[in-house]
Amino acid sequence: MKTKQPFVRIVRRTDFPLWAMIIINIAAVLVAVGIGAILLAAIKVDPFVYYKDMFTIGTIDNRFAYKNFEGLIEFFVPLLITSLALALTFKMKFWNIGGEGQFIMGAISSATVALLLGNSLPSWLTLIMMAVCGAVSAGIYGLVVAFFKVKWGTNETLMTLMLNYIALYALKYFGETQAGWNFFLSGESVRPVFATFPESAWMYTIKIGKFSLNITLVIAILLCALIYIYMKKTKHGYEISVVGDSQSTAKYAGMKVGRIVMRTMFLSAALIGLAGTFYVSTAHSLSTSVTNNVGWTGIIVAWLSRLNPVMILVTSLLISVLRVGCQTAATNFPVIDSNFADLLQGIILFTVLMADFLTRFKIVFRKNTEKEVEDK
Amino acid sequence: MSRKIIALLLAVFMCLGVFAGCNNQTNQNSDKTNDGAQNTDSSFKVGAIYITSQNDTAGYTFAHHYGITTAMKNIGLSEDNLFIVDNIPEDKTQVSNAIDTLAGKGCNIIFGISFGYIDAFAEAAEKEEYKDIIFSHATGYKSNETNFNNYFGRIYQARYLTGIAAGLKALELQNPSIGYVAAYGTEYAETCSGINAFALGVQAVYPEAVVHVNKISTWGDETKERQAAEALIDTYNCCVIAQHCDSAQPQKVAEERKIFSCGYNSDMTKESPNAQLTSAIWNWPVYYQTAIEAAMNDPENFMENVGIYYGGLKENFVGISPVTDNCAEGTKEIIEKVSDMIISGEWDVFTGTKLSISETGEITKVTAATLDNTDSTVIAEDGTMYCYVGEDEDRALSASDASGIAFEHDAVIKGSMNYYVKGVVEG
Repeated sequence: MKTKQPFVRIVRRTDFPLWAMIIINIAAVLVAVGIGAILLAAIKVDPFVYYKDMFTIGTIDNRFAYKNFEGLIEFFVPLLITSLALALTFKMKFWNIGGEGQFIMGAISSATVALLLGNSLPSWLTLIMMAVCGAVSAGIYGLVVAFFKVKWGTNETLMTLMLNYIALYALKYFGETQAGWNFFLSGESVRPVFATFPESAWMYTIKIGKFSLNITLVIAILLCALIYIYMKKTKHGYEISVVGDSQSTAKYAGMKVGRIVMRTMFLSAALIGLAGTFYVSTAHSLSTSVTNNVGWTGIIVAWLSRLNPVMILVTSLLISVLRVGCQTAATNFPVIDSNFADLLQGIILFTVLMADFLTRFKIVFRKNTEKEVEDK
Repeated sequence: MSRKIIALLLAVFMCLGVFAGCNNQTNQNSDKTNDGAQNTDSSFKVGAIYITSQNDTAGYTFAHHYGITTAMKNIGLSEDNLFIVDNIPEDKTQVSNAIDTLAGKGCNIIFGISFGYIDAFAEAAEKEEYKDIIFSHATGYKSNETNFNNYFGRIYQARYLTGIAAGLKALELQNPSIGYVAAYGTEYAETCSGINAFALGVQAVYPEAVVHVNKISTWGDETKERQAAEALIDTYNCCVIAQHCDSAQPQKVAEERKIFSCGYNSDMTKESPNAQLTSAIWNWPVYYQTAIEAAMNDPENFMENVGIYYGGLKENFVGISPVTDNCAEGTKEIIEKVSDMIISGEWDVFTGTKLSISETGEITKVTAATLDNTDSTVIAEDGTMYCYVGEDEDRALSASDASGIAFEHDAVIKGSMNYYVKGVVEG
């Protein structure tokens, strides 16, 4: 006799059209915003006032509106680059959750260059040196994990996670320890405070009226295009997705899996390090909260975008608007603090993952007719 | 497909940019009309940047938030005139962006409560666009001549008074061992001037007493604060626990172990009703009211009228909570006498003169140098203040910094005190 089918089954579906996928994702975001509106109304905050301020990132009725755009870019660029970089390894089913640590390594190394060499080198050379050192040091920080994984099969999730804290505590150590060797700290303050970089290490901006466009934005969007090409059109990109689908298939096809894993992880970590460089050279100094949690938020962005570089561009912009917008919108309401951004982000993640589930699977109930057939 | 999306995004960005430009112009116009009405209550906007949530119910941010909201209520400003950006870590970009947000909301004065905001505040105050906004930064040392000041209080004066209460209690119990849970030690003048003032207060009534400092290397961590207090009691059999950290955990430990305690920040009697002697407290509304009123009435001369502000017992900016019945007999009277001496300016904590208080409550002034644990003079009889300068190997006490500028009395607040007085032991 055939085994009885369960009452509810989950079946994979393959026939979901792209347009429907886009619509269902937009609907998911709208549902999340709707839930947020109910929550806001429940604590007596007018959702329309709040969302107006949030989606316009507070630029309406604001005489310094251009500053809000500058602030948005400062948040958006590191998030975009980090999410792109994480998507590279996730595609390979290599769980790099060490974005925070790699970002910090990049920040520390480029700060080292800025503070030690910034005064003696021309500006363009300082910035290039910072970018190279930031990327390479972070790349090596990531490569170590890939090497251990390939050589001894260690768990990359645990290792990258732990390396996050090592980097963070190293940074805190530099930030709190006053000593002659510690060039990271400002010499003029009695309390420990990070030194400001010499002017040659400041990231270039282009003045458009009052607005100053940070050129890291241009670089980040270029990187987005390059990574799209890299993932979709090159041999390397193909190898990454084959390794992600099945390591045995990759080996059978004659690919050097170990080399691919190490190469991709180095690239991913180096890009995150570059994001760190961009951040500190825009801020002109280090800080112990330099990452702004992009290493974590980037994971969410990469997943929400299904590891697609173009979607990552859209999602990271949305998350940045959400973050920056929530901050400005919350200023008016004493009952809301900035944690509301986290809450809303969580709801969006939940609804989009729900939508993702519905586009990939369908729920099938046991049919009565089937039952009858079986009984006979 | 992707090219279309990029094109679309760029278009959206450009539109937003144009909008921003329009807003700019219209708002500059409306701003001019606002200028005339700046002295009326309804248009004056207060901005604040907090290190943790504005909805905290205790601790550092709570104390400042209470100070600002109370001051605004006293002045008659509505809650709608207060704009807050909270949970801002000490990161220059994030602080600068928070300042931009508040400036964009039209704030006339912006307060920043955490030390690490210092450079972002200093830079913002110099910006051309922000010339008509007043920046006020707590615990810092930077300022300018027109629109940027810093503020803090002489909490060490209150600490000295709590030290007297602790010393008298220890004397009554005949136990010379007193514990002190500190966020940091000699790294910060703020913490070590508090520890030293407390110890000098203890020694004024009980010269043999020793203050054991256990530092937790963070401003607030409930678990560490609790463990530190427990370790002090277990290791040194302390009979009184004082603290310089955010939560009331050390007070609760004292309550559980049936010993005594001195709180900090706010009146902690409710956390330890049977242990509390008296707490060193801040009255933040005192400063915030002064600053907001000055910025409302005469923003042009803010630096002349308020300037760099270090209020103490005299201004009621710092104080102690009511002396409880747990204290030794006569504590209240002695504290009142000493408090009057400080308020009248007759005497202060870090001078060449120390107080010696007998069991009957008689106060005698003793002119003597203040020593550290190695018997080196740290405050001379004439009041000259010393400080350790140089790196580890050739650290030496000096009366001035490298450029020859003398350490003045406010250095206790601004940050050059970096030693413990005799009778303070760390570990």
